[in-house]
Formats: sequence, structure tokens, C-alpha cells
Amino acid sequence: MEELRVSGMNNIGEMKTEYDTIQYIVIKLGDEQYGVDIKFIDNIVRMQHITRVPRVPDYLKGVINLRGEVIPVMSLRLKMDLEADEITKATRIIILKLEQHGTIGIMVDEVKEVVTLTMDEIDKITYDGKEDKNVFLTGIGKHDNELISLLDLNAVVMDR
Amino acid sequence: MDVNQYLEIFLDETKEHLENLNTQILKLEQEPEDSDTINEIFRAAHSLKGMAGTMGYKRMQALTHDMENVFSEVRNGTMKADSNMIDILFQCLDALEEYTSTIQETADEGTNDNQQLIDQLNRYLNPGEKKENSKGKSGKEKKDAGEEGFTGKWTDIKIGETERLVFSSAKAQGKSVYGLTVYIQESCLLKAARAFLVYKAVEERAEIIVCSPSAQDIEDEKFDLDFSLLVVSECTLEEILGVTEGVSEIERVVGAPYECEAVPVEEGGNAPAVSTSAVQTTQSQPQTQTQSQPQTQSTPAKTNDKKTGGKPVVNRTVRVDIEKLDVLMNLVSELIIAKNSLVSASNTDGVSSSGFNEQIEYLESVTTNLHESVMKVRMVPIESVVSKFPRMIRDLSKKLDKKMELYMSGEETELDRTVVDEIGDPLMHLLRNSADHGLESAELRAERGKSPVGSIFLDAYQDGNNVVIEVRDDGNGIDVQAVKNKAIERGVITPDQGDNMTEKDIINLLFHAGFSTAKEISDVSGRGVGLDVVKSKIESLSGEVEVKSQLGQGSTWIIRLPLTLAIIQALMVAVGGEKYAIPLGSIQTLEDISPSDIKLVQNKEVINLRGSVIPIIRLSDELDIESSKAPDENLVVVIVKKGENLAGLVIDELRGQQEIVIKSLGRYISKCKIISGATILGDGEVALILDANALI
Repeated sequence: MEELRVSGMNNIGEMKTEYDTIQYIVIKLGDEQYGVDIKFIDNIVRMQHITRVPRVPDYLKGVINLRGEVIPVMSLRLKMDLEADEITKATRIIILKLEQHGTIGIMVDEVKEVVTLTMDEIDKITYDGKEDKNVFLTGIGKHDNELISLLDLNAVVMDR
Repeated sequence: MDVNQYLEIFLDETKEHLENLNTQILKLEQEPEDSDTINEIFRAAHSLKGMAGTMGYKRMQALTHDMENVFSEVRNGTMKADSNMIDILFQCLDALEEYTSTIQETADEGTNDNQQLIDQLNRYLNPGEKKENSKGKSGKEKKDAGEEGFTGKWTDIKIGETERLVFSSAKAQGKSVYGLTVYIQESCLLKAARAFLVYKAVEERAEIIVCSPSAQDIEDEKFDLDFSLLVVSECTLEEILGVTEGVSEIERVVGAPYECEAVPVEEGGNAPAVSTSAVQTTQSQPQTQTQSQPQTQSTPAKTNDKKTGGKPVVNRTVRVDIEKLDVLMNLVSELIIAKNSLVSASNTDGVSSSGFNEQIEYLESVTTNLHESVMKVRMVPIESVVSKFPRMIRDLSKKLDKKMELYMSGEETELDRTVVDEIGDPLMHLLRNSADHGLESAELRAERGKSPVGSIFLDAYQDGNNVVIEVRDDGNGIDVQAVKNKAIERGVITPDQGDNMTEKDIINLLFHAGFSTAKEISDVSGRGVGLDVVKSKIESLSGEVEVKSQLGQGSTWIIRLPLTLAIIQALMVAVGGEKYAIPLGSIQTLEDISPSDIKLVQNKEVINLRGSVIPIIRLSDELDIESSKAPDENLVVVIVKKGENLAGLVIDELRGQQEIVIKSLGRYISKCKIISGATILGDGEVALILDANALI
């Protein structure tokens, strides 16, 4: 199967945290770039058939079979009130392992690269009121003159 | 000594012993003279003490020691078990349980000495005297009695043909056969260890041919204070006695030459062969577990002859790590998935060679068998749960001041381990409910012409693919009117709603959260947290609860639980191009219905099927999907059953029956009530499993 195993990278991530760096996988939603903390990622799979589950919020796309386990999949776009996904060759499902919510997949338009950010490259976000989108972010990362919005995965996955 | 690694075993065994003690003491209350029971209690208490001592739990040991003293007096006949004493003993058991749970949580027994209980026990041992005196005296008494009791018990040992042969061949070789009876000091904590040392010491000088009780029993401490051996040796009797008495904590060893009828020994090559076999026997005795089942639970001489008829005291259990079983279970799941892919491959290829089909059939039989045997490993009798109930009812009876009796049947009914672990609390709720709300007070019972002692029944049995557990009482039954009034008062329903509700619906209100009809809140129940918890717990186990009640006659609570949770037979159906599985267990029949047969009653669609009116549920509506069928086409209707209710599920297409592996949808999608899980089909696709119970 064409999957990107990231467990190896995970170790590197742990090693580097000693020097106050965090590794992020950079994904694209439309024109925006988002960063997903690598330590929560189990693996990344290509788009596959999703079985719809009735009577759930529309951002929950359904379930997939991941090597014999049934994993729920949500659309990051719908969750963030963006336009519905357009499935292309680049569409990927990132399988996350979260302590609170168990294993869950999130659909993204494209997975770009892995970046290592040091703490001074990350700007924490301070909230003024509660703008919808901001609630899902922990900070903004600066890398190669580009900005990466760093996702707060627990907030993304949590029910609204 | 690092005992932490034994902690788990210690906890397991302690719980087992406590459970055993509970049942046996209850039995003792009914039959204070039964020596089997007393012996069993004594043994359990003794093992508890030994185990606590080994693990270094001094307080627990002290308490069990005094309990054991009391049991010992009862056993010797110097004291009778009365209800007061049983009460204290039960309190002691509760204290021990407390120790155990503290140990489980913190690996330490805590600081509660339970001195009061110990004092009470000692008062029993020696009314009016101080603790030290009583201990000393009872100890001395026992010693006096003991001195006379040091007899050679080896004469009681029955020997078989092989042993006889060994003895005669040994004698022919100039060796002697001795009988030995070893008495261990009463204060000894690790009898098995001492016995083992004796064993070792004897083995250096002699060959142990027979051992009574069996080596296995001795290893398990299933003996009193003495055990007997028959040995073959070249040494003198004094030498052997010398080494055995050298072992500490041994009270006395009695020995004498052993005589048995000689068996003619065949000359030549045969004799050495016999002696080798003897060596093998000897070696296998202390080391391997292959010994025959215990014929005697304690030494033959001390127990009376009333051994027959009793149930086997020790449950021969295999402890298997649940995780290992889960792995095994997953393997089976995958095997079934593999099988399903084969099946789907054969269907799509179109070219079906007979060899291929044979393979599939073979694979199918293998997987079915494997599944069954794994399930069996996971199955445990519900006895482990229900055995604590008689004690609970006894306590309730005292607390509520109502006379009641619990009758249980079907304790041997087996259920999946996970279900058994979970079912205890709901059952306890129901029993308490029956005791508190169900049964009337003695005066009222007398007025109604019922026996003053109320009866509660707990019956378990297997019914098809389900296990049914019934809790029944002969009390007042459910007062439907009172329930209705209460529900209206609590705002659960409006008076109008109440008028339209059937009796059954009203009774079902009892399962509503925050509902209790007890006029006063008692210690036992009445807070209204019971029945809704019962219901949700049982539903989480994919089971269901039902109540039947007749005012004045009593009520019956029926719990239905599926036998297995992991793999089921299901009917695959298609609705609007999506595949769904309906568990076969809930399906009654399949019907082909013309659209003109559908009638409207109260604006709901129903069909009249062979005289019964059945509501129709269009799955395409429930699942938010377009049906792929034209409205004038005949409908395929799956008739499903929940308890006594039927409903017809309209589907688009039947896809056949399949064995499916249930996978959880995960915590994340737990809100969808009508889907109970998912399964993976042969082509790797995920199909959802419909919960017929939630649809009705």
C-alpha cells in the first residue's frame, strides 16, 4: 500500500525536542498551509472509499478500513467551514492518534512536506474574542518566508 | 523477599477464597453441624492466613489467624456456630475484603487493625478471659488432643498393583519399605513449603513411592497438618526419621516398616524395568502437575466419612491473560476476513473450479471451529458473579427486617467473560429492588395469605443465541397506577400522555432516569438511580431488559444477553447502493410486500401480516438516502423482533447471509444510535451494522 510511514520521523522529533524544536507536517487546504504536529500522526494514506455513516454531523465523512480497523474520517474543510472537499489525486487522509479521542482520520487537500520549527519561529496566537477559525490554531509558524497555521488537533477533533 | 510479582496471584486467590468463605459460611448458618462445610471454611481461612503471612500483610494475617482459631473450635466441636457468630464472621470477611481492595489499589494493606473484630472473635474463643489467655489455652488444648493423635496414618493409604510390584521388587533387592506420617506444627504458615522440604530430605535417602494426599495437593496446601508417605530405601528407619525431623516447624514424624502382600517378582530383565518406572514416578510426583485429580481434599483420618455428594470444592480454572485472548480473537477475525475475500473473489471471477470451492469450504469449517473454541475459552460461568448474592440477600433481610429467601438456578450458564464482569451490578440492583420495593412486609404478606418468608428467584438459562437471566419475586408487583401518578408528578409525562399509555409503556417508565416510587428513601434503594443504570448497562452489552408484573403477585425482570459479542451471523442488505448488515438474531422473517398492502394507521405505515399489524420502517428514510427502487415496485421487508415487538424494515435488495466480525465505530462516532458497529467485507469495504433494537 502506498502509505507514508512516519514512525521513524517520530523518533527524530522526540530527539530534537530537547533543543526546543517541533516537527510539523505541512498540509494544504485551498491556498492556505497548515501544520500538524508530527507526534500525533500515526500515518498518512491515500484517499480511499469512505463508508458514509448516517445521522452524524456533515463534517464526519464516514469510516474507512485501515488494515482491518474501522477508523472514522472527518473533513477538515467542512469542520473549518470551508467549501466541501474536491477529491483529487493529491487528497490524503492523515490518521491521527489522540489520547482523548482515539484514532481518527482527517481529509486534507495535499500533504506537502515535513518542517522543523524552533520555538522562536512559532508565534503563539492570542485570541481577541472567538473568531471561528482561530479556535483551531495554536500558533503561526514561520518557515522559508512562508506562514504555516499550526493546528490545535484536540480542538479540531472535538465536537462542536 | 520481593513479593510484588506474586501480588496479582495473591489478589486473585484471596478473592477466590473470600468468595468461597462467603458461600460456605452461609451454608454453615443453615447447617451448623455439617463437617464438610466446616472443614472447607477452615481450609480457606487457613490458606488465606498463610498467603497473607507470606506476602507480609501482618494485619490481615492477624485477623485471619483469629478467625481460623474460631473455625478450629467449631470444627473440634467445642463451639457451635450461632447467628451472632456468623454475623461477626461476615464482618470479618468484609474487613478482609477491604484489606484486599486496599492492597489492590496501593499494594499495602492500610492501617486499620480491626482490633474490635479481633477482640470479638477472642471473646468467642474464651468468654470473659483476656486475649493472651484464650490463645494460650486453646493452643494447649489442641496440643493435648494432638499428642494422642500422632498415629501412623500411612496404613490408610490404598496402594495399587504397580506400587505393590515396586515394593516387592525393592524387597527382593534388599531394600526396606517404610511408612511415614509427618505432622506439621499448627503454627506453621507455609505448610506446603515445609512439606516440600520434608519431601526433599526424604528423597535424599529414599525413593518416595506413594504420597497421601497427592503431591499436587500438598503443593497446593490442600492438606491438614499431616501427610503420609510410603518410601523405599536402603537406609534405616531412624536415619530417615532423623532427617525429616530436622526440618523446622515439623511437630513429629511417625514411621514404621510397611508390610504388604508380596507379589511374585518376575526374575531377570523385568525387575530393573520396574524400578526405573518407580524412579520416574517419584520424580514426576513433586515436579510435574500430571498427578491424578485430588481424591481427598484433606487427610482421610481427620475428615469424617461424609465426603460423598459434595460438589468439587476447588474450581479447576485456567487463568488466561485477556489480552492474549484478544490477540487470538483478532487473528480469527482476520482469518474470517481472508475467507470473505476468497468468497468474493470466486464470485467475481465467474470461473469457479471445484478445487477452489473445496478450499473455501475447508477454510470456512476451520474458521468456524476456531471461532467456537476461542469463544469457549472466553466463556465463564456466571457463578462467579451470582455467588455473592445469597450473602447480600441475607444482609438485606436483616437490614430491611423482612424475611426473604433467594433461590438460584442455572449458575453454570456461561457467558462471555467481559459480559460476566459487567453483569454483576445490574443484577445486584434488580435483586435489591425486588427485596426493597417488591417484597411486602411480613404483616402485609400474612394479610394476603402469602408465606411470611418472601421468595426471590434468580434463574439463568440459555435460549438460542441469547442467555436469559430472570430476577423474579413473589412480592407486590408493580402498581401501574402509582407509577403513572408518580411520573406525572415528576413531570416525566403529562396527564394526557398518561391516559394514552398502555400498561407496558407505563412500566417502562421505571427505566426513566431519576424515577423512583419508593415512598421513603432507604439505605437500600429509592434514590432512583437504579433502574436506568441497569438498563443502560445492559444495553451497552447489547442486551435488553423487560419487566412483567402482576399487581399482588410479584414481578419478573428479564435480562437477555447475546452469547457472543465479537462475531455474528448477519443478513447483508443494500439500501440506496449502500451495504448494511442486520444481525440474524433479531430477524424474524423476510417478506415480499406489494405497495398496495401498506396501510396507514395514525399516519404511520403498517402492514397486516398473517393477522398481526406490523409497523413499517423505511430504512432509506432512517439512513437519509434515496431508495434505488421505484415506488410501484414490490418491497422487500425484513421483519425484525425486539422482545415481543415486531417491525418491518424496508430495504432495496438482499445480499445474502454472512458471518461478520463486529468492529467498533470508535468513541468518535458513538452518537449514531441506529448503527451498532461496523464490519469489514471481503472486498475491504466497510459495512455498517444496523441495530434493529434502536430502530423499533
